[in-house]
Amino acid sequence: MKGSIVLGTLGLLGLMGALLFVTINEVDRMQTAERAYSARAVESGALEFESRCRSCHGPQGKGTPLAPALNTASLFDGSRLAAVGYAGTVDNYVRGTISAGRPVPSAGTNYPQRMPTWGERFGGPLRDDQVDSLVAFVMNWEDRALAEGAAAPELPADQAVGTDITQTLPSGDAARGRTLAEGTLGCAACHTLSTLGPAWAGDGTAAGIGPRAALRLDEPGYSGAAATAEQYLLESIVDPNAYLVSGFETVAMPATFSGRLTPQDAADLIAYMLTFD
Amino acid sequence: MAIFRLHLPFLDDVKAKGVKTAVKDKVDDVVTRITTGMNPTDLRKLLRDDPVGRPNPRLKPHTESFWFHIKPTYYNQLMDGFYPTFRLGWLSTYFFVFEIITGIYLMIFYTPSPVVAYENMRNILSNVPFGDLMRDLHKLGAEAMVAVVALHMLRTFVTGSYKKPRQFTWLTGMILLGVTLILSFSGYLLPWDQLSLWAVTIGASMVEAAPPQIVGTTLNLLVRGAPEFGAGGLLRFYLLHVVLLPAVGVIALSVHYYKVVIHGHSLPPEAEAVGEDTAKRIPMEQRVYFMPKIITRELFYVTGLTGLMILLTAFIYNAPPLEAHADSLLTPLHITSPWYFLWLQGMLKIGDKILWGLVIPPGLIGIILLLPYFEVGPSRRYGARRIGLSAAAMSIAALAVLSFMGSAWYKVTSSPDQEAVAALAPQTHPGPLREAPWDQLTFGTYLASQWDAAPTPALQGLLQRFDEELVRAVGPDQRDAEAIMIVEDWQTDLKKITLRVVWTNPDGSPYEFSQSVYLHRDSEYGG
Repeated sequence: MKGSIVLGTLGLLGLMGALLFVTINEVDRMQTAERAYSARAVESGALEFESRCRSCHGPQGKGTPLAPALNTASLFDGSRLAAVGYAGTVDNYVRGTISAGRPVPSAGTNYPQRMPTWGERFGGPLRDDQVDSLVAFVMNWEDRALAEGAAAPELPADQAVGTDITQTLPSGDAARGRTLAEGTLGCAACHTLSTLGPAWAGDGTAAGIGPRAALRLDEPGYSGAAATAEQYLLESIVDPNAYLVSGFETVAMPATFSGRLTPQDAADLIAYMLTFD
Repeated sequence: MAIFRLHLPFLDDVKAKGVKTAVKDKVDDVVTRITTGMNPTDLRKLLRDDPVGRPNPRLKPHTESFWFHIKPTYYNQLMDGFYPTFRLGWLSTYFFVFEIITGIYLMIFYTPSPVVAYENMRNILSNVPFGDLMRDLHKLGAEAMVAVVALHMLRTFVTGSYKKPRQFTWLTGMILLGVTLILSFSGYLLPWDQLSLWAVTIGASMVEAAPPQIVGTTLNLLVRGAPEFGAGGLLRFYLLHVVLLPAVGVIALSVHYYKVVIHGHSLPPEAEAVGEDTAKRIPMEQRVYFMPKIITRELFYVTGLTGLMILLTAFIYNAPPLEAHADSLLTPLHITSPWYFLWLQGMLKIGDKILWGLVIPPGLIGIILLLPYFEVGPSRRYGARRIGLSAAAMSIAALAVLSFMGSAWYKVTSSPDQEAVAALAPQTHPGPLREAPWDQLTFGTYLASQWDAAPTPALQGLLQRFDEELVRAVGPDQRDAEAIMIVEDWQTDLKKITLRVVWTNPDGSPYEFSQSVYLHRDSEYGG
């Protein structure tokens, strides 16, 4: 009995000691746990991004003609927020855009597709925690995006291809054109992989883009200025609104390529497109 | 005329007897009321284990107070040792109270809604002081309680204590065992992560198999609140966990305790003649009084055990980490039910879901529940109960075998590529890849078969494991299978690790399976 009382008292002291130890470490533990769970949110956001966002926003969020780059300084330095007139934080801007989507394009942008609604609360497929993970993942680009500075600037005017479709282009390299179309420029995102733009390759009912380009010139209502298939293709790249093919009036090809391509790039692309027949 | 007159009798006493005597009398009075009959002198004598006078003031609490009337006034000396009770009944009660206290703490920070439950759990673990400690204690206590209650039942069976007149005590005990199991099972769902959702889904899907179909469908709706677990199911399990089952538990426990006081603790089988029950007739010289001996020891147990539990959770035990948010569209590979229901999952693997899920287990439970009403052999001696004890031993062996069969090790069909990848990055727990030191995962592409060429010890270990698992999983006929691990820099503090398995199909076509895991520097999976 005496033993029980002594041991019980010791047990009580031990219990208090253990609790004291936990108490002392509790603040650190909570901070570690918070950091760990925030880190895990970035991890699951990365998985989510690969399956849901990458197809439009591009690998590593570098952007495609379909959707703007996210891994870029303009998102984090406030310039994009200023451009659309958003007064909140970048974090909230990203969360709002993912959750509710973009039913109307932001001013000054001309992407062929609207950002879909992702949040469950707005009719999309993602739960709140999934949206939060995506936000955590996108926001984790901040350091590197700001360090890299602004996105690649447009070419100086004397190096860009411009909108004159009657110019004489250097001779094109179809292989390099293919690399441009499928890689750097991301043309293939629309023109071969989806129904957003006219597919270049021929199928059972239509010829490939090469012979098709020649036919467009004779279509009733053709409003462009091209006289040859090559000029038509160049016109479609550098001045896409000159003539809108029936069925694709609502999906807009970005009108920025006249400033982004060199004459050599344009020639290579055209050479590549003419290989489809 | 005053409508309110303040009168303190204590002041009259001070006037009559002087301050010192009045205060002493007052303290005596208050202590005597609280202890229902023992003044400070009696308490002091109690703690010093002094001889007690007559009338014995230590008997009064047993007749006059609520808390002590469910405890016997004295025990048989034969029951005072470790054998035959092993303190398992007492331990069961201890854990019941322990779970209520830790559970209430967790309840304060928890909302049973799929929208916020997971967020609440994250908050408990990262923002609530002692939240992690309380969760670990609650989880460890729950596991211990299941084990202790089951062992208590086994002990009662082995010593034959369920026999007349204690049949009903056995029955209430079986109810308490059921309450314990379902309490533990229903609590499993509440964190609302992948592990909890799918472990509980496996258990609950058995209900759906009940024939005919209309019964199964209806029962399933009743349990889950919808065809699948969602807001309704979570709320139901929560209410089961915090209201219904604890209420049933408190009532059954009260009856159980009352029956123990009424019938006395059953003595060791060899201590009494066959067919006799002498538990209530304790000779004077064999009595051990609750006060002071048993109560001080029980208080010692409480402090010692609680201290032990806190030490264990603070330094050794960690409840399984919170997995990804519950997702009813994504079934994790190799998910199993909780360990105490693995035997049931094992039975379901034997064959017909209805026979092995809904006929045999309830039949067995029914037999055990009503055991004392048809197993009426008079002797409690071990030698006279060879059949019963052998059956118990065989049941334990069968449970062990069935539990093994219920685990992911037995008869789970999955493809070798997924097996090899899941060995490194499992979907039910962090696993070796996530637990590996982040800094040692250097960028590059590594072949698992050339693991010894990897630049860091952690990578070598992982690749070697990857290689071994692939060889084990594909078998000897697929010798060209190759496991590849690619580590890429993905973001600030984020690496992308791709695990890839490639081989050539028998028809010559190439086959590839790959899965990516993203790892952040701070994600702290431990290990």
